[in-house]
Amino acid sequence: MADHIIVGISGGVDSSVTALLLQKQGFDVECVFMKNWEGNDDEYCTAEEDYKDALAVCDHLGLPLRSVNFSQEYWDKVFQYFIDEYKKGRTPNPDVLCNREVKFKAFMDYALELGAKKIGTGHYSIIDDSNGYFRLLKGLDPGKDQSYFLYLLDQDALSKSMFPIGEIKKKDVRKLAEESGLVNHAKKDSTGVCFIGEQKFFKEFLKKYIPANPGIIETIDGQVCGEHDGFMYYTMGQRKGLGIGGGHGSLEAPWFVAEKDLDRNVLIVAQGHDHSSLYHGQLMADEVHWINGSVPDNLSGISAKIRYRQADQKCEITELSTEQCTVKFDKPQFAITPGQSVVFYRGNECLGGAMIDSRK
Amino acid sequence: MPYFDHSATTPIHPNVLNKMMDVAQHNFGNPSSVHASGRKSKAIIEESRRTIATAIHASPSEIIFTGGGSEANNMVLWTLIQSDKKHVVTSAIEHPAILTVLNKLEPMGIFHTVLPVNHHGRVDPKRLEKSIQADTGLISIMMANNEVGTIQPITELINIAQNHGIPFHSDTVQTLGKIPLSVQDIQADFMSFSAHKLYGPKGVGFLYKRKGLSLNPLIIGGGQEGKHRAGTENVPGIAGMGEAVRLASKNLAKRMKHLEELELVFITYLNRECSGVIINGDPNHHLPGVISVSFPQNRSDILLAKLDRLDMEVSSGSACGSGSIKPSPVLEAMGIPEAQNISTLRFSFGRENTEEEVIQLAKALSQFANG
Repeated sequence: MADHIIVGISGGVDSSVTALLLQKQGFDVECVFMKNWEGNDDEYCTAEEDYKDALAVCDHLGLPLRSVNFSQEYWDKVFQYFIDEYKKGRTPNPDVLCNREVKFKAFMDYALELGAKKIGTGHYSIIDDSNGYFRLLKGLDPGKDQSYFLYLLDQDALSKSMFPIGEIKKKDVRKLAEESGLVNHAKKDSTGVCFIGEQKFFKEFLKKYIPANPGIIETIDGQVCGEHDGFMYYTMGQRKGLGIGGGHGSLEAPWFVAEKDLDRNVLIVAQGHDHSSLYHGQLMADEVHWINGSVPDNLSGISAKIRYRQADQKCEITELSTEQCTVKFDKPQFAITPGQSVVFYRGNECLGGAMIDSRK
Repeated sequence: MPYFDHSATTPIHPNVLNKMMDVAQHNFGNPSSVHASGRKSKAIIEESRRTIATAIHASPSEIIFTGGGSEANNMVLWTLIQSDKKHVVTSAIEHPAILTVLNKLEPMGIFHTVLPVNHHGRVDPKRLEKSIQADTGLISIMMANNEVGTIQPITELINIAQNHGIPFHSDTVQTLGKIPLSVQDIQADFMSFSAHKLYGPKGVGFLYKRKGLSLNPLIIGGGQEGKHRAGTENVPGIAGMGEAVRLASKNLAKRMKHLEELELVFITYLNRECSGVIINGDPNHHLPGVISVSFPQNRSDILLAKLDRLDMEVSSGSACGSGSIKPSPVLEAMGIPEAQNISTLRFSFGRENTEEEVIQLAKALSQFANG
């Protein structure tokens, strides 16, 4: 009998094509819809519509669909952290934690308990085991590679996962969906944070969970130039929504968030994208994680991304311990953001990463 | 595929389907029209009304057709808005079509008392007696529970209501076709019924309303159903429901015996092969063929999914498509600890189930649960 694979299906085109491909490969495929968020946030959450899409796809493919609720796990392991980080003035990335704690932990455990051999998910990445261990490689489509979000996975998780769309380009995923008659072949990609949805709701959403502490905005030279609504609404390098009018600064150039002075609750801005205060050559990070379980023997020729979709940046890892590391970049980096992840690569292989704590 | 979830819904009986097809094909008339087509349709729904009335020993004018059991419940509860007496007594194990409605009515000045149930899921009549207030305008307590099958001491409860002159409503959706039900014996004032729980069509049900009691319509418009429910009647649905009730009434003894036999086979097998199982509910007062079983150390959603992979369909205590493993409020109200609660499945057998199927089910469960 064919191996039993449980696919985490979201109602989107990527996970639907994941199920389609695994079914075509002859696996005994079953789909599970995860509900990870609950509350009175119906206005933000599209879960019900997404479930209907998932149901239509599974019905069309003749695959069983069930649903499971991990909102407790999500709340405890991801959302609390998300809120705590914002309270510290940092900009967290809930997706990397969601992958480690929910999709590749709670969901994986559930699937294995149901008798699945592996889980399948719609991530644009590749798992390669030709070297005797499981390597996480970038997805074939350079514009969609999601290894950045998966750097917290370990050997165990990778050994029980399948990412069949990692070797396909997004446009071909859509084409496959269309050819197979999947209703969601043209569905818009989801953007923003999964439980908030559209970016425009972000501010309103955060306000419900974090008390805002407004303060003043100063230029890098200490000149007061405006007021901010609370640190949680701003991230390093942010340009929009600063509300700095004319009269400040001599240039026409726009303003960017350069620093958060936590002690004084002052947001510090700099003018012009090239302003030196927006760039740092080094970052300090903690919670270091290596996908193969230990520090690579050779750390030369490594590069890193400090945000999703950024091109790989040549760097050197110094002062490495099991917990912490310092990363020195060949070129200064724009808007290194505490709370985000720095993810390490050698060529196409994602080696691991760490959480950015500070920069200098 | 073996289906063991008849408390959720039942497969349509072939005779019911034939009746509905026949009616839908040959009678398109609006029952309110005075011409021949209309008269024919009117005759069909009135025949169904007589059949149903006969089955529960009521008079036809006491039967109001609705769009299902939830609507019948809603009609009775929303009537309170125009009543002088604004207090309702209900039980902790009612269907959401009672409890959610009562919560919704609260800001409109309708207050309710929720009676607890004992470990078997039964209301204590003494508690009901004590909960009655000067302005109690309705008592609504279900006759039999959908999750654990427990039957309430309904006659005693109704006697108390009658002694105080308070109208009594019962959600009886789970009972018709499973136990004898005569309005001569069970003297409730209102009872809600649904066709799809007894091999009839979905989206149609009826309310029994004892003669002389007032009821406000929820849906207002034309004068259908004695001005109690506007809207052109669902003629094929009503005809199908009539046939389903007729069959249920005619075959009641046979169906009960069949369900009791299946239940005995199932429980005997489980008790023998599956260590530690707990049967919930009241062994002395329960619907035949509705069995709530806890499988300690197991999660109900996992068991459910594993059975589903074998094409065996059952249900967990906590309903709803969310798939969450939230404890069932009914089991919670019965004082069942959470760990046991979330390891509970409900099996509800039906007329088409066979002994072999039930043994297969028990076998599969024993394998899964014994791990």
